[in-house]
Order: sequence, then C-alpha cells, then structure tokens
Amino acid sequence: MNTKTGIWAIAKREFRRMASSKICIWGIVFAPIFSLCLLIYMMNAGLPTKIPIAVVDLDNSSTSRALARQLDAFAKTDIAFKSLSFREAREQMERWEVYAVLTIPRDFSKDATSGAQPKLVFYTNNAFLISGSLLFQDLKTACVLASASVGLKTAEAKGITESQIMPVLQPITVESHALSNPWLNYSLYLNNMVLPGILQLIVLMFTVSALGCEVKAGEGSKLMNMGGNSIWKVMCGKLLPYTAVYMLIALLFMSILYFYNHFPLNNGFVPMLAGYFALIIATQALGVILLGIFPNYRLALSTASLIGILTFSLTGFSFPIQAMDSCLYAISHLLPLRHFFRIYVDQALNGLTIGYSAYSYAILLCFVLLSFLFYGRIKDFLSENKYEE
Amino acid sequence: MKKFFVDIYYVWWNELKVVFKDPAVILLFFIVPLAYPLIYAYIYNNEVAQHVPIVAVDDSRSAKGREFIRMVDASPDVNVVARAANMEEAREMLRREEVYSILYLPNDFSKRIGRTEQVPVFVYADMSSMLFYKASVLSVTEASLKMGADIRVSEMEHGTQAQDEASMQAVKYEWIPFYNTPNGFASFFVPAVLILIIQQTLVLGISTLVGTHNDRKTFTVASLVAYGKNVNAVGLTIGKAFCYSSLYLIVSVWILRVIPYIFNLPQIGDPVTIMAFVFPYLLAATFFSMTISYFASQREFSMLLFTFTSVLLIFLTGISWPWTAMPGALKAIAYIFPSTPGVHAFVKINTMGATLYDVGFEITVLWIQTLFYCVLASLMYRWWIRNYDPRFKGQLVPGK
Repeated sequence: MNTKTGIWAIAKREFRRMASSKICIWGIVFAPIFSLCLLIYMMNAGLPTKIPIAVVDLDNSSTSRALARQLDAFAKTDIAFKSLSFREAREQMERWEVYAVLTIPRDFSKDATSGAQPKLVFYTNNAFLISGSLLFQDLKTACVLASASVGLKTAEAKGITESQIMPVLQPITVESHALSNPWLNYSLYLNNMVLPGILQLIVLMFTVSALGCEVKAGEGSKLMNMGGNSIWKVMCGKLLPYTAVYMLIALLFMSILYFYNHFPLNNGFVPMLAGYFALIIATQALGVILLGIFPNYRLALSTASLIGILTFSLTGFSFPIQAMDSCLYAISHLLPLRHFFRIYVDQALNGLTIGYSAYSYAILLCFVLLSFLFYGRIKDFLSENKYEE
Repeated sequence: MKKFFVDIYYVWWNELKVVFKDPAVILLFFIVPLAYPLIYAYIYNNEVAQHVPIVAVDDSRSAKGREFIRMVDASPDVNVVARAANMEEAREMLRREEVYSILYLPNDFSKRIGRTEQVPVFVYADMSSMLFYKASVLSVTEASLKMGADIRVSEMEHGTQAQDEASMQAVKYEWIPFYNTPNGFASFFVPAVLILIIQQTLVLGISTLVGTHNDRKTFTVASLVAYGKNVNAVGLTIGKAFCYSSLYLIVSVWILRVIPYIFNLPQIGDPVTIMAFVFPYLLAATFFSMTISYFASQREFSMLLFTFTSVLLIFLTGISWPWTAMPGALKAIAYIFPSTPGVHAFVKINTMGATLYDVGFEITVLWIQTLFYCVLASLMYRWWIRNYDPRFKGQLVPGK
C-alpha cells in the first residue's frame, strides 16, 4: 500500500492515473488534438472560394456575357452552370449544386443603353448564411459594375470628359477597414475561439470526473488520508497535474494558431499565455463549484457538459451576445470563455494595453477564489465516499 | 422465424422498462431533447444584429456630412450613438466597447462633392463579430449609393423624371434571399442543431445504458433475456433499436415539428416527406449509437467520450463552413455519421421545400448507414453475449 502522504505523493499518483486511463488519454490528449487538426484543415483556405452559382442569361448579348465573365473572375464565385430557364436553375439550387442564381432579363443590353432600366435579379440560398452573404457581396458588386459600365456610355454621350466620369458614376466611395482581420479570414475568426471552447468543455468535464471517479472507486477517504485530511493539499495534488497537461495543450493551440497560421497576436506571447492559463484555472474552479453544488458525480458531469456546449453559443463570437436577450447577456458572464473572449479580442486581435483586459483577468481569478468556498463540500463529498448512481 | 419476431418484441418491452427505470437515461432521452431546442431557439431568436452602435467622426462639419450621417443612422442595422470630435476619441470608444465601428468623413467631404471629385468615406470595424462588420459596411454602402445617385442626377442635369431615374441607376438590381428570407441566424443554424440533438442524445443515452450494465456487472444487456430465453445477437440488437427509435419518434415530433412552429423557423417541408426521412434517420442514428456505445465502459463515460464531438459534427455537416468549400477528405469522414446526411436532408426538405426525389441521395445514404451500423451493432452485442452472458461464462446467477 502507498503510505506516502502530501501534495507531491497525490500529484504523482494523479499523473500515473492519467497515463494509465484510456478515457483520460482519449478525452484530454486525443480530443483537443483531433479537433485542432480537423478544424484547421477544414478552414485552411480562410475564405470559401469558388462557390458554384448559375446564371440564367435570357439576353445572351455581348454585354450580358461580359457581365457573366466578370462575375466568374471574382475569387469567391464560380459560374458552374449557364442555365436555360430559371426553373432549371432553381432545381439545381434545391439540390445544392449551386448556391445562387443570377438572372439577366431579355433585351438587357438594349434596354440598359436606351434608359429603360432593365433589372438584374439575383437569388442566394440563405439556408447557408455564410456562403449566402459572400455571394451577395460578389453579385451586388457585379450589378453595380454593370450599372456603371452602362452609365459610362451614357455619360460619354452627354459630353462629360473621361476624367470626370468616375466622380459622376460613383461620387462617394466606401473604404472599409476590418480592423485586425483585413482578410475577413473565417478560420481566424472561428478557430481562435472554437478551440479554447473545446478546451473549456474538456477541462470542465474532466475536473468533475477527476474527483467524482475517486468516490466512485471508493477511494475518496483514502485520498483524504493521503492529504493528511487537508482538503487544500488534496485539491492541489489532484488538480495541478491536470493544469500542467492543459497548459501543454494550450501551448499547442497557440503554436498552431499564432505561429503556423500567423493569426494576429498583437501584444505578443505573454498576455495570451496568461489568458489561456486564467481560462484553464477558472474552468477547473467552475468544475469544482459544480461538484460542490451537485455532490453527485453523474449530475455534476451532465451539468458540466450542458454548460460546456452552451458556452459556444453564449460567448457571442458567432452571433453577438449583445443581440441576444439581455437575460442571456447576464448569464454569459458566468462562463469563463466569455471573459477569455474579451482578453483575446483586446490582447491578440486589437493589441490594446493590458489595462483594458485587467478586469477580465481579474474575473477569471475570482472564479478560483469563489471555488474555495466549495472546498468544504468537496471535503464532505470525498470523506463520505458514497457513490450515487 | 416466428421466435425471432417474438424475441424482438420481448427485448423491446424489457428495454423500455430499463429505460424508464434510469433517471440518467430519462434526462438524456426526454428532458434534454425537450429543453435544448428551446434554449437554442431562444438564444438565436433575434435572428439578426440590429442597431449596432457606431460612432461618427465628421471632419468636414458640413451640411452634406450631417445629411450623410443621418442617412446611415436611418438604416435599421446600425445606430449612430455618438458623434466624436476626433479619431482618437472615437478609437477610445471602440476600445471601451461602447461602439463597434467608426464612420469617418474626411474634412473635404462636402468640398470635393461640390467640385465633382470622388470622395471616400471610411469605415473602421471591430472584428470581434463578423455581424457587426457586415452591418456597418452594408448600411454605409447603402447610404453612399443613395446619396451618390442624387449627386449624379444633379451633375448630369435634370431631364424628365424617367431620364433622372435612368441616370441614377442605369441598371436596377434586386436581391432575393431564398429559403431564409429574414437572412437570420436562427433560421440557418437551428435546423442543423435540431437534427444533431437527436443523434447526440441517442449516443449519450445508449452509452449510459451500456456503461451502467458494465458497472453493475449484472450483464443485463444479455441476461435479461438469458433466463429461459435464447435470444441471438441480431434479435437483441433489433429489439433494442426498435425500443429507442420508437421513443424517439415521439421526441422528433416535438423537435422537428413543434419547435420550428413555435419559433417561426422556415418550415415549408411536406410532413409526409419528413416522415419518410425521419424513419431512416432515427434507425441509422440508433444503430450508430449502439455501435459506438461499445466504448462506454462506465456509466459516466458517455459524456467524457462523446460530448466534444457535437462541436466537430456541426462543422462537418457543412452548414457553417459551406459544404462546397470543404476538403474532399473531410466530406468522406463526414459521411460516416448519420448527422451529415440527416442535416442535409432536413434542411433541404424543411427549409427549402425539397421533394422526396430531391433528397433521394441522402435517404439512400441513411438506409445504407442503417444497414451498416445494424451489422456492426449486432457484432458488438455478439461480443457482449460471448463475454458476459452467464451461459457462456458458466456462472449462471442463482435466483429468479
């Protein structure tokens, strides 16, 4: 029997348990690495390119063909079909063969030059919001350009000199600057948060299970003895080995995101490393709090996975939290990932001084302080050592 | 042959009793499918980001500049909450997250319009959310086109009303968003989530059942039928699958019919077509779950094993990162899981109004998956019986 006591003995025992448990290797090591590879590979292009569309050209003049060629030259759009009828194109859209349809009306070029204002109509499949809005941009640009090229001819006919034409056609131009993500890179936008989200989910569940499985195996009281009946020693010995492993995973994430993919890391390495560290310990603390609230292994674990999954929506990196119901906005502050998101936006993306994020770091540390209140209940949970199904 | 069908019925009935005795399984089979769609629909119910707060910096301090800002403010997408004196002030507001983008008009804005020169306006958007960027750029572009058209008319000299209109815009265009007319987030995302909830709760619930059998070492998977009954693995698999699928038929009425109705999601699918899709989807998802439940060696492990896959599976369905842009290798991997053809078929039918013929491919894939996973699940239970059934272990439990 193991007679050693103290933090170090518990930590050594924990490392051994981790290395010999298939579920830990699957969940803590394999799951994040697999997710990392899959998501980075999926969005490697940054932006979807060559999304297929159909053009229904009822005019079939040199002007309309030029319009189609111009559209085809855009990076995001690929004219996959030139359909003869709208009906045919719509059926292709229903089968997901094309994601948008542009219709050019009969007598388009004649009407355009004679001032009869022909109408180009484009349809996008918005069951796919992202490809729908990307194609919308391209199609709209093409239509504006078509309008401009016709306007060019009319203006020349009215005797406006060439140097004056552009200001006449487009008096006001818009220069949009997407701060810190000028490429509108989706991989940058999603993976920078989805990966920490997966990490949070895993940390939350495995913190609950690290303590819960001791009771299930009937080793709770033995563990307390190893820690000299001090819950502080037990918790340090139990949780810090996991913190170390999670930090290695976080470093792997950071190396792929910031060094391999060169995503913006405007304030350098240290603030984000601190951000990941704060996320990990805050999430571990939240796991402890959950087990303190529901001193039942399975129930705490179910709650952890429920929270972990909802976090992806409630952090607000895909659909902004400000646009949700205000009650959800309040709830989102109870999730460590929400505060990590603020740190990431300020420190990595926008490169603000650390002062703007100090509040978020502080809240994450407050999770840890808050969890100390539940250590008494965890102690009872371990000492009673009673497994409920 | 008759015995085979009686066995299926017998297993079906016994498994129902097992399901309803376990609070964890009731939670996963009924409470979660009941509550989760409500939560998700509630989260995304607002569909679009409206009234995104932006700040305007008008260096021209002219009537034209103020008019332009008013035009931007009139758009439903953005709300000009403040007018800053200079860029530094505006940037500070951006940093404090009081606004999400800056609209900047240069000091010669009005002058250059008067001199018939092209004038740029600038939008600086915070990229913490794509939707903020989209809202501010779109509404500023709209305003610039509208004001530009007015300017063009006055420069090309007024003619008749029709001539003016033509010089405003030589070619008109119209955008018609199909299937998701409000262009909203819920209508695009929630249908996929609904389908995934069905598969993932089945996976978690069935794994919990198998894990519990493993824990108790009572071998109920096989032994419930072992006393006096000699049920083979195929009968056992099919009986159990029918038990789970029949329960999920009721659950899917709620998830696939009532939820879209309550939250006004696009729902133009023919109920008969949906039924024709639901049967193979539920069977494929059930057999798939029974196959991978092999790995659940403890009652609680289902969560640890499978929860994270939900995130990856939703990406693999190609609803977010569009399916057409997904690398071929990932498309192949995606087809391992029933959720992929499931989401495709459901979106096509319910959001886009496809007929059975249009989703023929997906339905075929689902039936192939049903067969494939049925065979795998049967092998898995064969292994179970071999390993755990008292008859094979020679340790028949006394009693009963």
